[in-house]
Amino acid sequence: MELKAFMPGMILDELADAVGGYDNVSIENSDRATYGVDYFWVGRMWEDRGQVPPMPDWIVRPGSAQEVSKVLKIANYYKVPVHIWGGGSGSQGGALPMTGGILMDMKRMNHLIEIDEVSRTITAEAGMIFQQLEWYANEKGYSCQHIPSCLTCGTIGGALGHRGIGIMSTKYGKIDDQCISMEVVLPNGDIINTLPVPKHAAGPDLNQIFIGSEGTLGVITKATFKLYEQPEDRQFRAFLFPDMHSGYMAGRDIMQKVKPSILRFYDEAESSSIIKKILGFEQPGCFMNLAVEGFKKIVDIEMEIILECVRKWGGRDLGSDYGEKWFENRITFFYPGHIMDIPQMFGTMDTVATYANIEKIYLAMKKAVKEEFPFVRYISHSSHWYEWGCMNYTRFIVEPGDVPQDPEEARRLHNRIWNVGVRAAMENGGVINDHHGIGLKLSRLMKEQYGPAMQVMEALKKQLDPNGIMNPYKLGL
Amino acid sequence: MFSEKAKKNADACRFCYMCRHLCPVELVTGKENNTPRAKGLQVSMLERGMKMDRGCAVTMYECLLCGACTADCVTGFDPLVFIREGRTQAVLENLVPDFAKKVIDRLEATGNPYGATQAKVDLTGVPQAGETLVWLGNAARYAVPDVAQALLTILKKAGVAFAVLPDEPASGCELGDMIGHVEDVRAQARRAAQAIAAAGAKKVVVLDSHDCAFFLHECKDWGIELPEVVTATAFVAELIDSGRIVPRKVDEVVSYHDAARLARDMGETDAPRAILAAMGAQLHELYLNEKDNKNPANKACGSFVRARECGSSIMGQMRPDLAKGLCENRYADLLRTDSRILVSADPQAAEALRLSVPEGCETRDLFVMLSERL
Repeated sequence: MELKAFMPGMILDELADAVGGYDNVSIENSDRATYGVDYFWVGRMWEDRGQVPPMPDWIVRPGSAQEVSKVLKIANYYKVPVHIWGGGSGSQGGALPMTGGILMDMKRMNHLIEIDEVSRTITAEAGMIFQQLEWYANEKGYSCQHIPSCLTCGTIGGALGHRGIGIMSTKYGKIDDQCISMEVVLPNGDIINTLPVPKHAAGPDLNQIFIGSEGTLGVITKATFKLYEQPEDRQFRAFLFPDMHSGYMAGRDIMQKVKPSILRFYDEAESSSIIKKILGFEQPGCFMNLAVEGFKKIVDIEMEIILECVRKWGGRDLGSDYGEKWFENRITFFYPGHIMDIPQMFGTMDTVATYANIEKIYLAMKKAVKEEFPFVRYISHSSHWYEWGCMNYTRFIVEPGDVPQDPEEARRLHNRIWNVGVRAAMENGGVINDHHGIGLKLSRLMKEQYGPAMQVMEALKKQLDPNGIMNPYKLGL
Repeated sequence: MFSEKAKKNADACRFCYMCRHLCPVELVTGKENNTPRAKGLQVSMLERGMKMDRGCAVTMYECLLCGACTADCVTGFDPLVFIREGRTQAVLENLVPDFAKKVIDRLEATGNPYGATQAKVDLTGVPQAGETLVWLGNAARYAVPDVAQALLTILKKAGVAFAVLPDEPASGCELGDMIGHVEDVRAQARRAAQAIAAAGAKKVVVLDSHDCAFFLHECKDWGIELPEVVTATAFVAELIDSGRIVPRKVDEVVSYHDAARLARDMGETDAPRAILAAMGAQLHELYLNEKDNKNPANKACGSFVRARECGSSIMGQMRPDLAKGLCENRYADLLRTDSRILVSADPQAAEALRLSVPEGCETRDLFVMLSERL
């Protein structure tokens, strides 16, 4: 149904009334354009080429779950799409308002609600940038230990919405391990809470239905996370392995015996490019850095065990300096001038698999991408490890000379590379994504990943969002 | 339309989110457009054919120019360059929002953002010329005259021979903040320098840190000659250090607000703390203040000069609602400490912190506090 004459204005008035006045809504062209670019390469390229970005029709900034509820009721009545925007730092286009409609910027909901020092939990509104949450925890001597590279730019809701992960995940878990409970506004406007504890026998865990749902099933408005005491000791170490196989196997053995907080293993291409550039390390082989933390007595023993594992697989001990340097520069990697940027084309095809498959996936993705697109540079590292497997953070890079200037052609090449790489991962036992989410970028591949299992998610979507207003075309829903 | 320097900074910032957590304005409003990244993106879009509109102009004016983003950038980009030029562009395209236009009109008509014509500071008996000239600035002359009066009392008790210009001209700093560093602003700065020279000053003691930073940085860059310029805090700390004044000590817990231009632009964090120490105050630092180096999280990336700015005279005049929110957020930082007294050492900070003092809390100006203890 087309909105004619002053109908958009009527909806604007209603939205303003819902969120506390006209200061919290906007229909200005420049405001709307700002929400048309996130960290997704296609969106950025589109803006860089002077194209009109995807724009919402109305921007709203709710200040409470009740205001979110009112907005969703309005959106359902008029059947207009709703897109949820946190920090806008997602790399998958998950927040882009591809169908116009309402864009809900959550950052007004950025208040700390409670620190429970007895239970060691922290609760805050979901529009808070995660660094703020971490600072509040630090102020009391704790840490959330969710330290992603987007710490300073992603919100709590954003981290939960796409199942984010931080650099300390190997010891402290992903965001879905760290979240205790949540408040969610359902598409019909009902405000619900998940159970106050995540471990119970009262049916499936509701947290895990909404974590990773990317704004397609509701709006996360509040969340409670675990707090950890700051470690007494943190020791760093770096190693050099002769090849990928020995590094993967050493990593597996380490994970079976001890629990490092950081474990990062780089293929030779990334060791000789990014690691060389940032850390100054320059020797042939595959670089690994790790950290172990906790009580010093335990850390000392864990490090001894790690050194045994490394020796067994032919790794060379490089001492602690490079590990410390990596930690100091952990966010520097993502600043302008240090990370890939337009006019390059690039993407991170992160996948996760069991140890039986992970090396096979590394080789298969590399072969598939290189054969189809010989001009593509391919680098990879593994930065999140489990007892049963690990992930590959595989990046492709196309230098400016090989990137089409025409935005349509550039988008087409980008999507073709993604299809080839991700399908190679899925065909060899990997999954469509490890920790960046699906968004718009990978939405088309969700049914290939899940097969008939996709009907479970489709049924949830149909029941919770019968008008299909929530973040259309994302997550394959 | 934008300078090459502004374009270079905007092109870096439009894709970078790394200072998103720091902007005191964005932390109040929650508006995407209040992030440096969004402002960079808009400048980039303007360079690629988008027309500036009212929303874009509002975006450029909803900023304290406090430099939190600049200080945090490990790669050295400076969003303030394109934000100032964005304001210039808004003026050129006649898109300045009403809330900013009224302040620009006042600055052009009266030299101060309040549109005041009569200073509230009692200068009876104070010489109008001399080798040591005290530069008060607009906030102290018109909004918080007790701060100016306190500084003058301190100097008299220390036996310092000083002068004050009864009709102190505008420095150019505030107009520069409102319309960018254009020729009109340089002309104001030159007139201020002429007035200082005419008073025979060999040293200028500047109370307002905005003016002081402007004299030391912009005026120097433009080749405008000024005598030695020092902050009032550094000057008074030296008076205490040399024994010319000895304050009475009171054992009490206080927190100190680092005003952005004093702490970040001029790196002056020690002098005010030394004055507080001389008064016997136990300083409980606000989290993320520059001096709170104990927690390694403060050094995680970039600069650790992250002190949250509390507002400014201009913001108070442009957007009282926003200024109140900025003030409230700073008190929220105080309320997480066990101090209930928030001290500032800059008249614009004093003005901003008086906007909304929570029950049970108190705000003090450092000079007022000291003058009462001599």
